[in-house]
Amino acid sequence: MEDGKLKTGFMLSPLKNWKAGLFRHETILLAVLLAEWFYFDSVGRRFGTLDNTFDILRHSSEIGLLALVMTPIMLTGGIDLSVGSLLGLCAILFGKLWRDAHFSPGLAAVCTLGIGAVAGGLNAALITRLRLPPLIVTLGTYSLFRGLAEAITRGVDTFTDFPASFLALGQDRLGGLPTQAWIFLSAAIGVWLLVHRTTFGRSLRAIGYAPEGARYAGLPVEKRLAMAYVLAGVVAALAAIIYTARLGQAKADAGTGYELFAITAVVLGGTSIFGGAGSIHGTLLGVATIAVLSNGLVHARQPREVAGMLTGALLLFALASGEVSKRLAKFRAHRHSPNPATPVSASHSP
Amino acid sequence: MPPLLQLSRISKSFGAVRALNEVSFSLEPGEVHALLGENGAGKSTLIKVITGAHAPDDGRIEIDGRPVEALSPSHARALGIGCIYQQPALFPDLTVAENIALRLESASPARRIRWAERQAQAKELLHKLGAEIEPSVEVRRLSMPNQQLVEIACALGSGARIVIMDEPTACLTQKEQHLLFAVVRGLRAHGAGVIYISHRLEEIFALADRVTVLRDGTSIGTNRIDEINEASLIRMMVGREVATIYPPSESAPQEKLVSLRGLGSREGGVHGVNLDLRAGEIVGLAGLVGAGRTELARVLFGITPADAGEILLNDRHVSIRSPAEAIAHGIAYTPEDRRKHGVILEMPIAANVSMAVHRILFPGTWLRFDAERCLALDAIRDLGIKTTGPSAPAGSLSGGNQQKVALARWLATKPKLLILDEPTQGVDIGAKSEIHKIIRRLAAEGLAVLMISSDLPEILGMSDRIAVMRGGTITTILDGKADAHRVIAAALGQSGKEAA
Amino acid sequence: MTGRSPFQSVSKYFRELSVAAVLVVLLLVLAIAAPAFFDAPPLFSRLARDTPTLVAACGMTLVILCRQIDISIGSQFAVCGVCAGMLAAGKEPAFVVCAAPLLIGAALGAVNGALIAGLRLPSIVVTLATMVIAREGLRWTQQGAFVNLPDGLQWFGLAQRSGQWALIAFALLLVAAMAWVMKHLAAGRFVYAVGSDAEAARLAGLRPQLTTFLVFILMGALTGLAALMNLVQSPQVDPKSGTGIELKAIAAAVVGGVAVSGGRGRLWGVFAGVLLLACINPALTYLHVEAYWEKAIQGAIILLAVVADGMRSRKAREAS
Repeated sequence: MEDGKLKTGFMLSPLKNWKAGLFRHETILLAVLLAEWFYFDSVGRRFGTLDNTFDILRHSSEIGLLALVMTPIMLTGGIDLSVGSLLGLCAILFGKLWRDAHFSPGLAAVCTLGIGAVAGGLNAALITRLRLPPLIVTLGTYSLFRGLAEAITRGVDTFTDFPASFLALGQDRLGGLPTQAWIFLSAAIGVWLLVHRTTFGRSLRAIGYAPEGARYAGLPVEKRLAMAYVLAGVVAALAAIIYTARLGQAKADAGTGYELFAITAVVLGGTSIFGGAGSIHGTLLGVATIAVLSNGLVHARQPREVAGMLTGALLLFALASGEVSKRLAKFRAHRHSPNPATPVSASHSP
Repeated sequence: MPPLLQLSRISKSFGAVRALNEVSFSLEPGEVHALLGENGAGKSTLIKVITGAHAPDDGRIEIDGRPVEALSPSHARALGIGCIYQQPALFPDLTVAENIALRLESASPARRIRWAERQAQAKELLHKLGAEIEPSVEVRRLSMPNQQLVEIACALGSGARIVIMDEPTACLTQKEQHLLFAVVRGLRAHGAGVIYISHRLEEIFALADRVTVLRDGTSIGTNRIDEINEASLIRMMVGREVATIYPPSESAPQEKLVSLRGLGSREGGVHGVNLDLRAGEIVGLAGLVGAGRTELARVLFGITPADAGEILLNDRHVSIRSPAEAIAHGIAYTPEDRRKHGVILEMPIAANVSMAVHRILFPGTWLRFDAERCLALDAIRDLGIKTTGPSAPAGSLSGGNQQKVALARWLATKPKLLILDEPTQGVDIGAKSEIHKIIRRLAAEGLAVLMISSDLPEILGMSDRIAVMRGGTITTILDGKADAHRVIAAALGQSGKEAA
Repeated sequence: MTGRSPFQSVSKYFRELSVAAVLVVLLLVLAIAAPAFFDAPPLFSRLARDTPTLVAACGMTLVILCRQIDISIGSQFAVCGVCAGMLAAGKEPAFVVCAAPLLIGAALGAVNGALIAGLRLPSIVVTLATMVIAREGLRWTQQGAFVNLPDGLQWFGLAQRSGQWALIAFALLLVAAMAWVMKHLAAGRFVYAVGSDAEAARLAGLRPQLTTFLVFILMGALTGLAALMNLVQSPQVDPKSGTGIELKAIAAAVVGGVAVSGGRGRLWGVFAGVLLLACINPALTYLHVEAYWEKAIQGAIILLAVVADGMRSRKAREAS
């Protein structure tokens, strides 16, 4: 006789129970972020200044955008390894459209967004139509997009000398904040609303928790998944445009390694690799944590590489602690009301 | 000679649920001992105790007359206890020969593989079974019945002396069944003991030496097969007066809502299904495992495409190619696997209840939490869901309450036809009767209900009409007041021709 | 049913044979359009240069068979190469120089294995993290500096041509040995079983977690071996060497018929895949196509192989 109880105490609504709220993932992350901030403020001379904060904002906009759009994909239990490469491809295509096809920056930007959508659509088609695993599909497009970028630029071509009006997007300020911060902020609000306040986001979660169950509930699984990957393509293109404006140049290696940062930010923020659980505000905190970390390390006069190593270590730590706490919760649940499927006192299998 | 297996006053509880209540059971060498009981009677728990997957709270286990403490799965295997489950645990990408070998060979990694020996061993075992399976075929390519035969070959090969078979003939053809019977008789002749679980009384009378009936976790009685008849067995299984447990039918069936004419689906394995479903009527869909009941439901709900026949809704032909289309036509389906498909355990009740009505409840795609909460509160009140509130995760509920949430989800779509697949499986007695009352009420309110159930008393107690499936099609339609014998007989195909 | 008809053999090995067929077609095209491709000295150079990829692909095959993936081998390769180079520059004895990269690779693989098998973390994210940690750690200590190797180390002290022969022969022997182990040793079959259904493996007493752990250690050791084989081919160790080897290995495996879902695949199919991919870049050069298309073609090949496999299994599903 099965009694399907499942103790999910750590998922209760925090507002009802403030103590549970204290130990929620996002709260801990916020604490880590504040700790980082105070540490680097004390160690680095120029760290806590407004200028530097704006610098952090500037540098984290692109990765932030990628992380924002990686979250819905990971909520479905999937992954997109190709966003960094797509950023590079879109950057050089943007440059080519502007320089060689003589488009205005505005028109080139719009076309680039379209290219991003098509690229995302390629991932979407392979994953939803042919039901291929996202891991290997996006590994293939990771290579394909970067390869196309290298091939088109013959590995050496770079695009520079953009008009000042365009560079203002990445280097200037607008209303007191760096220009791209407004774009990032709008995107953050938009994606937050999409994930937390629309049926689209609700469907993505359902797909992540129960891919078959979502189908049985009548949800249009393939359509939602496709949307998530196409959105990733469009936003990767947007990030490419901002990147180009910030650096003033577009090269084929743009965005190399960005997928790691995006995935780290998402996982740090509490999104489960297996899908279902996660939040945009968590991802934003994750982005902030990583951005402050790498910026702070520079101010603390640590070599660049330490930032990369710590980011990787943070990712592992976030993964491991998530797994450990899951096991602890299951163990505690067993003690109270044993799940009939597993024995309590019998010795275990080899 | 001591019995091969002796269980004395075994008790096992899971939380508040008492799965086994001082059950005693024995298995003699050279005996086939059948275990009979309806769903939830405790058969699988008893088997898990024997195979060491569960430790009993109370009672004694003796094997060959020697008491055994703290039986574990590997220990049980070493003592010669082998179990053949309905779901074969084979490696799909490996060949039959390799699968058998991996089960039978030691788990030491440094051995040299002798492929010729593996092939020969597999051939021999399969030949003994009379199965025509090529040992070098990947298990992936085998049909379910053939996979089961491979499992049996593994058990044969491992020299198990206490062999447990859980509904082994559920998916076998007539010919394969005869082969299996020969295998079972062969095991018996060699002095092994077979615990044979089956719903098929015909098989039990053909094969078994003794039969034990379980009901609600208690052993009702053990009899030699020549001292008992079908009627007594069914009485022991069912036990109580059916009429007093189930809510009586309140309504007279009204107009025809759904008609199935020659409905078939190659992929789903159903063919030639003819059935009328009326508003206000509960049609019970009975049949053995593998008869095609869930497959029919999936065709009706659009998960599996139909490629023959038609579905008529209010006398108009409709094609249903996806769950969304089914919902649009007013068809709802609560799946058999509640935890995987019926509710999403990690999400709150409110989200679960609104899962199928996004387009109606949230026009313009914005979530409206107040509307959702109201819907959930209504459902909690209407269906009597015991919970702390609409934001509690569905996984925190008991099985019965989870089923109510699943029901609430589908009732929110305001369906005309409600298909229930094993609605009270894994649900405790109290919640069971509550769900039955709800189903009755829904029928009285004008829904057409198609209820799939393996619980014979439930079928008998709830249905206005009973459709019996066998071999992928409906073979008989009986009145709801038919007695258990006729239903079982129809499910076994005794009153009709059998599918080859 | 003693023997098997040729038709049945073809259908069983269809995947591997189709890769071999594509390879043969490519070689034929080259023989006609660019026979200079087959000139001995540069051909041998190229073959020798690709032996590390072959060795890495062998390890990756095991990893994918287990239903896992390892994208950190590029960084492992660099770390092992640099360490071995530094030991050699420090005049350590030959066997130390040879053993060190294998041991270091095994240790790095053990870290991966512990996290993946022990903590049940997904391999893609774990190896993504360890890849970055290893790569950045190396860059931090080395700052991108090349390591100069003593003369005697090149080609194991042999003449260049003999050295190339030695490497090629060694690689072939290794592939043959691994193929034998995977087919005829119980441990090899366990890998297939674990990748096919880990739960059934556990029930059969096969210890899937331990198997996975050991596979990652072996992957690391083979990566170290690949780094060593690369080391002896030039007078310096480039800390950037090995970049992209994980993609080459995965591409070769996927093209060679190893199923990403685990449990299926043969090593000699991967061998054909390595050869095919190794031919593509020089083929481009000899056919006067620009070499910059290599990465894009590699990505396209991975996608094509996966799509083809996906469509084949879909057809098989619909037929049954």
